[in-house]
Formats: sequence, C-alpha cells, structure tokens
Amino acid sequence: MGVAVEDLGSNTEPLAIDAKGLRKEFEGRPAVSDIDLRIPKGVLYGLIGPNGSGKTTTIKMLVGLLTATAGTASILSERVPLKKKLPKIGYMPQEMAIYTDLTVHENLELFAGLYSIERSVFEKRETELLAMIDLAERKDSMVSKLSGGMRHRVSLACALLHEPEVVFLDEPTVGVDPELRVGFWDYFMKLKAQGRTIMLTTHYMDEAVRCDLVGMMRMGKLIAEGTPEELMASVSASNLEDAFLHYSKGAVP
Amino acid sequence: MNLRRTLSVTRKTLRGLKHDKRTVGFLVLMPLFLIALFGYTFGGSVKDVPIIVVNLDQGSPNGSVASAIISELETRETLKIVETLGPGDPSSEDHAIDKVSKGEVWVAIVFPEHFTEDVMAAIDNLRNGLSVIPSIIQFHVDATNPNIEQSVYTELQGSVQKVLVGTYHLIPPIAIIEERVYGEGAEFIDFFAPGVMGLAAMMVTFMLSIISFVHERTTGTLDRLLSTPVTEGEIVAGYALAFGLVGLVQSIVILLTAVVLFQIQIVGSGLLVLLIIFLLGVGNQGLGFLLSSNAKNEFQAVQFMPIILFPSILLAGVFWPIEAVPGFLRPISYFVPLTYAVDGTRSVMIRGWGVEHVWIQLTILVAFAVAMMLLSTYSLKKRR
Repeated sequence: MGVAVEDLGSNTEPLAIDAKGLRKEFEGRPAVSDIDLRIPKGVLYGLIGPNGSGKTTTIKMLVGLLTATAGTASILSERVPLKKKLPKIGYMPQEMAIYTDLTVHENLELFAGLYSIERSVFEKRETELLAMIDLAERKDSMVSKLSGGMRHRVSLACALLHEPEVVFLDEPTVGVDPELRVGFWDYFMKLKAQGRTIMLTTHYMDEAVRCDLVGMMRMGKLIAEGTPEELMASVSASNLEDAFLHYSKGAVP
Repeated sequence: MNLRRTLSVTRKTLRGLKHDKRTVGFLVLMPLFLIALFGYTFGGSVKDVPIIVVNLDQGSPNGSVASAIISELETRETLKIVETLGPGDPSSEDHAIDKVSKGEVWVAIVFPEHFTEDVMAAIDNLRNGLSVIPSIIQFHVDATNPNIEQSVYTELQGSVQKVLVGTYHLIPPIAIIEERVYGEGAEFIDFFAPGVMGLAAMMVTFMLSIISFVHERTTGTLDRLLSTPVTEGEIVAGYALAFGLVGLVQSIVILLTAVVLFQIQIVGSGLLVLLIIFLLGVGNQGLGFLLSSNAKNEFQAVQFMPIILFPSILLAGVFWPIEAVPGFLRPISYFVPLTYAVDGTRSVMIRGWGVEHVWIQLTILVAFAVAMMLLSTYSLKKRR
C-alpha cells in the first residue's frame, strides 16, 4: 500500500500531512487503528469507505478536535494539535456546523474575525466565494431559510474563507445537486492548482476517481491506498467500487 | 487572549439573538412583567381589610371612649369597617364572630358594655397612683394570614394609643422612638426589587447559556470553532461578555420599570448595582456552559433549570430574608451566588453602601465568575 506517494511531489518537499500509527479508541473500542498517512503538498486525497469506517475520526484527529489514543501526526511539519499553523488549515465538518440563526454574510464575517482577516481582504474573498457557491443574492438571507444544499455550500465557503493551505472537507458534496457538484470540483481543482492540499471524504466513486490519491477505510483501518488507477489495476477491477469490495474481502479478519 | 476573536464570538452570539425577535421580546418583557407583577401584588401595603365592630359600650355622660376609638379606626386605610353593631343587642357579638367564621370579615372587634367606665376608672387609679385593672377589647381574628392579622392589630393598637394620648392626655410610661438608620421611607417593593433583578438576570443568563451551548455541541458548530485559531478561553470570554450584557440590559429594564411604576429608591450607585448584576450574569452563564456538557440535547438541558433555579428563588433572600430560611437549609443559601448578588444590590440600593462595604459580596461574585469561566475553559479543553 502507498506505492504511489513518491510519484507525486518531490521527496524533498515537506509533507502536508504526516501521520504515524494514528489510533483512536472510544471507551476501549478502536474507531481508528494505526493509520499511517504521508500526503505531499498539493495533493487531492480522497478517503472512502462505508459509514462508521473511521474517516471522520481520522480527520478530527488531524485537525486537533480529538486527541489520538496513540500515534502522532504533523501538518505542514508542525505537530498536531497545531498552534502556529492552525490558521493555515481549513475544516468543513460533516454536520452543517454553521449558525442557522445568522445570515450567510454574518456566518462568513464570524470566520473572518476568528481568522483575523482584514476587512478589505474579507470583502473580496466573500464576493468570490459567494459567486463560487452561487449564493450571491442570498448573502443577507438567514441560513435557517436556506435549503440543505445551500447550507452545505455556505459551510464550504466558511472553511475556505481564509485561503488555507491544507483543507479537510468531510463529505463536502453530500446533498449538493449534480450541477453544483461540478462547480465544487472545478473549485477543488483550482485550489489544487494553487498548490493547496485537500483531504476529503466522499461516498461518490466518480469523485474518488478524480482524486490524486485514494485511501480506502474499513472498520477503522486503512485497507488500501494509492492512485485510483493503481488501486483498480492491482486487483483487475474495472471501477473503484469493485476494487473497494475486493480489498474489503481481503481485509476481513 | 485575542480581542478581535473574542469579540467575534460575542458579536455572533448577540446577532443570533437579534434575529430572534421573539427571544428579544422575551428578554426585555420578562423582567418587566416580573417586576410589575410582583410590584403590584406584593408591593403595596395591606389595604381595605374587611372587619366588623361590635360596640356594646354604654359610655358615660362625657361620651364613649369606644366610639372615639371606632372613629379613629374608620380613618385608617388598612381597614374597612363593613358593619358596626350597636349596644343593646346581646346577640351582636355572636353574629360578628359568625361573620369571621364564614370568612366574610377578617376580624371582629368587640368593645364590652362597661368599656368607658373601666377606662375612666383606670385613668383615675393611674392618676392617684393606685394599681390598674386593664380594660378589655375583644379581638376575634381569622389568623390564617399572619400579615393581615398583624396589620389590623397594629392599626387597633395605634388607634387606642392615639385616642388615649390625644383625648385623655395619658402619656404612656414607655415610648419607643424609631429612627431608621437605613431604609427611610422604604417599602416592601424596595426590598424585593433588587432580588427580582438578580433573579431575572441569573435565570436568563443561565437559560440562554445552557441552551446555546447544547445547540453548539449538537450542531457541530463548537467543533468548528475549535478548529479555528480561536482558543477555548476566547470562546468562553466571548460568550460571557455577550450574556453578561444581556443580563445588564435586563437589569436596566427592571430598574427603570421599578423607578417609574413604583418609585423605588436607589440611594447608592446605580453603576455598582449594574456591576454586581454583570458579575452574576457572567458567573451563571459559565454555570450553564458547564452543565451543558452533561446534557445531550435541549430537553435534558431544561431539566437542569429547576435544580438550579429553585434553590436560588427560595433560599437566596429574594422574597424573604435569609434569616427566615430554616437553619439546616441556610448553608445552602450561602452556597447560592444569587444570595450575594441580592444582598449586595440591596445594600447599595437601600442602604447606599459603596464598594468599601460590599467588597465581600463583590469578591465572592468575582470569584464565582472567574471560577466558572476557568472551569468552562477546562471542560472545553478536556473534550478533545
């Protein structure tokens, strides 16, 4: 596993995400067991796997919301939990996690304050992001009045407002209509082109195929990792779904 | 501690409230409603208590002492004499007692047949230095309400005094001269307005805080905040500032209402009063914050309210003094922060005390607020 890491980015380049033996137990039960990750800068990394396989727990450990039971992780060469580099990461949780009792603009303004973004920079970023999520006209609408998909888009905008170098997106496209999903992915590609690192989780195999690297998780373990092409080729599968099922069988104890 | 991040949390909290018009209405009108309701029901003294008077006194050629006392009673606002039964009807006393039994009147005052005669004899004896047999007035009372019993009794005593001193120039051998050190002109409303103010502030800050944080936890926004550069301490401070301000606004509403509707007196510094309320608000929002981590949803959060609110309402000296709390419960009174806020605001408002006299209350409230904020911060850090 992990054969392709060296192909992407140079070896001398420090890793964006570097985790060794990451493990999380909840009341003695492991949710994530011994995960190693070496993700170079500028990579779009997709974590796939069924619900409860440990994707969200892994991300929460990386952004510092959960303390690992064992193992270590570094982001941009700083040990997690981050202090100095904290403003350089962005996180979009799986839950909407935006304030429904505020307007779209007020939500964004809150995050501008939390990241100490200057007024003029914020105004520019806000306009840009609102155009990307296609909610420019709803700027002053209460979030509670928006549809689920729209809230999701606001949530994404909040995670990207401060132009983070490493972005963690937990199921960013759930409940987003197909047309807008295309727009999201165009934006992810744009972020990648700017040299930013993205780690996202997804249930859609057509999204996973577009990632540079895919990590397959099952029951808290990383059962396979590599480029989509490699993952399919090594088990002679014609699509990622079949490949995943194949690896899953192999991983059953 | 980064000020901008802290204020961002404060602003988003206040903005959220601002959008919720009904909650804003509740925050402003609840204290207004509370103080008006309590003010009108408890505030006034007892008035127009229905009583019945039975005058069997036969008097003397110089008039009747009983009649003089009855005329005096008629002028008292506390009392309303619904019926005066004259002499010559032996069943009138039974009739009057019957009225008390039926709950139609609170008191039946009976002057006996030889009342004036007895009084005159007593006065003569007194002047001649002989021993005195006291004259009797029967006081049949429905004492289910000690407050009313006390008021009527005081009025009767006052009337008797006044008639004896005014008409017969009898100077009672002992005179107690009351001089109020504090509370000159204070009425009951002055006593409990500070209490209601503290109570409203603590109730609302606690309630807002526990509900807000359960909401932050369940919707994932708290996680999200914690993934940004904002620190736990800044979140706690931002919230404390927001809800402390809400408590302040409420206190101002209560103060203004009480001054306009009930002309309460504020002898001391209004600013000191507001400082005490602010500290109480900050402490209680911290308490709500702490307890919210033990509530999985809003419904569980609501269950904490009676546990916290009732001891405060009953034991903190809001409506009756702590001295009226039974001894074995009094230690709890001293554990309830509201006790110190109420005592502090009361001392400032009625006694006009300054910081030099209420520093103990202030210190305890500062300690409460700081402890709650530190514990809240710690509980946030611990959950990672």
